[in-house]
Amino acid sequence: MDGRANIPENAALTELRLLQLCDTALPIGSLAHSYGLETLVDRGLLAVPDLPEVFATYLEETGTLEAVFCREAFRLGQAPRREFAADEWVALNRRLSAMKPGREAREASITLGQNFLRCVLVMEDLSVVRRAFEASRFLAEPAEIHHGTAFGLVCGALGVEEDRSIAAYLHQQIAGLISACQRLLPLGQSAAARILWDLKPSILRAVQRSAHCDAESVYCFNPFVDWAAMEHPALTTRLFVS
Amino acid sequence: MAHALQIVHGRDRSEVDAPTRGAVSAALDLQFERGASGTTILSRSRQEPPWRVVRAFPLPDGSALAHLHNVSGGLLGGDQLALSVDVGPGAEAQITTTGATRIYRPRAGAPAATQRNEVRVAENGVLEYVPDAIIPYAGSRFLQHTVINLAPGAGLFWWEIAAPGREARGEVFAYESFAMELDVVAGGKLVVAERARLVPRERAAHSLARLGPHRYWATFYICRVGTSAAEWMRVEQELRETASELSSSGVALWGVSTLPAHGVVVRCLAVQGRDAIAGLHLLWNAAKRLLYGRDAIRPRKVN
Repeated sequence: MDGRANIPENAALTELRLLQLCDTALPIGSLAHSYGLETLVDRGLLAVPDLPEVFATYLEETGTLEAVFCREAFRLGQAPRREFAADEWVALNRRLSAMKPGREAREASITLGQNFLRCVLVMEDLSVVRRAFEASRFLAEPAEIHHGTAFGLVCGALGVEEDRSIAAYLHQQIAGLISACQRLLPLGQSAAARILWDLKPSILRAVQRSAHCDAESVYCFNPFVDWAAMEHPALTTRLFVS
Repeated sequence: MAHALQIVHGRDRSEVDAPTRGAVSAALDLQFERGASGTTILSRSRQEPPWRVVRAFPLPDGSALAHLHNVSGGLLGGDQLALSVDVGPGAEAQITTTGATRIYRPRAGAPAATQRNEVRVAENGVLEYVPDAIIPYAGSRFLQHTVINLAPGAGLFWWEIAAPGREARGEVFAYESFAMELDVVAGGKLVVAERARLVPRERAAHSLARLGPHRYWATFYICRVGTSAAEWMRVEQELRETASELSSSGVALWGVSTLPAHGVVVRCLAVQGRDAIAGLHLLWNAAKRLLYGRDAIRPRKVN
């Protein structure tokens, strides 16, 4: 044994692509959103010691919801271009919009989703992704493409393994929220890294839960976070768009 | 383990569909129509016990008020109640309850108590559904599934208030599960798909991402199909001012946001139920003025 990994080239390529897609440095604007966390900090309702429990609960509820929609979009993305179910894609995104009560958080998800698909299409012209992008623009008014569904769709089209794709999506979502907290709270880099490290089992549990329900039946109960997202427009000084 | 995960995060069909010996399966159908004089009448009512609606009362603005009675006082495990409401073109109806809806502890092995609501509001009709709180007793399980269809021009004021239990007896989040499912289709578009479920023994209600220090939660949907997105933004801003005045950390928090189309949603988290109810009435009145140019009429109650 010489210690070198013997990874098939296609698998390695897919893995590297997944790493780039879930990097917060991908130019889609994900660092501009706190999804209501800024409200909680502004109102003195969220402090550093709260973060591990808040994020774990967030993953149990919103994480599971996002994972379910990411998974359903992933399966749509696996279809050959001619068999792509454009109506289902539009309905899936519309349903996710209807499940997000906070306007800014909903619009943030849509903005990131559209940016994500545009970014991917610049890097590689995936026919199913292009078809989905066009369907959302022509079949829905206004166009609704959420970040989680866009991520799932692209991963399905690229042939990434299903659970791995969903875990990667949730991981970058939580990484983005923790990054937001670093700008809002006295949270150092090491402490932030430790929180994300410790949340990995919670991420995997959300992925597992998402395999047992569908977009019609999945529950999500995060009313405090929903309230914070709804109240964000009322903040007088804001670092974040949502 | 897999089944347990499904029950917490996705609907468990066995809770919904299994009939139970001794449990009640009852329907209440109400149909409101605009009469020749322009006032709204309860034109049809089909009632099965324990549902009871005595009559509809005319209100000063021409709308009709109906009180929903549950003569058994609440729902028992396995009970399957169904409410169907039709509001005809141009008709305006208001529905309330005569008191809190109690969800009793079920017998061992009994499935959840369920209530299914189907609502249709025709062109330019209005429905105001302003019930008292739902109180889930210790050990109870409850699922409410509501589907509301709004035609072009139709209006909706619909709230639900969830209590933590019988607080005076020290029953706070002692129920097994409490689920609220609500779909609103407005002008053919799905604008609300709420799927809220609390299972306190498995998922802590007091988590900061769920209810935090609050015990009550309320959701209030306000719709009028066809109103422009710009107008809804104005409604959101106006109602947020009222919501901000109502909000007080450690007492109650109020938020307002536009829906994807045709409406706004108000969300309340409160320590005391009375704060939720008082705030809902204030916001109802403010929204009625903004959308219809007149005050909301608080329903008369016996209690």
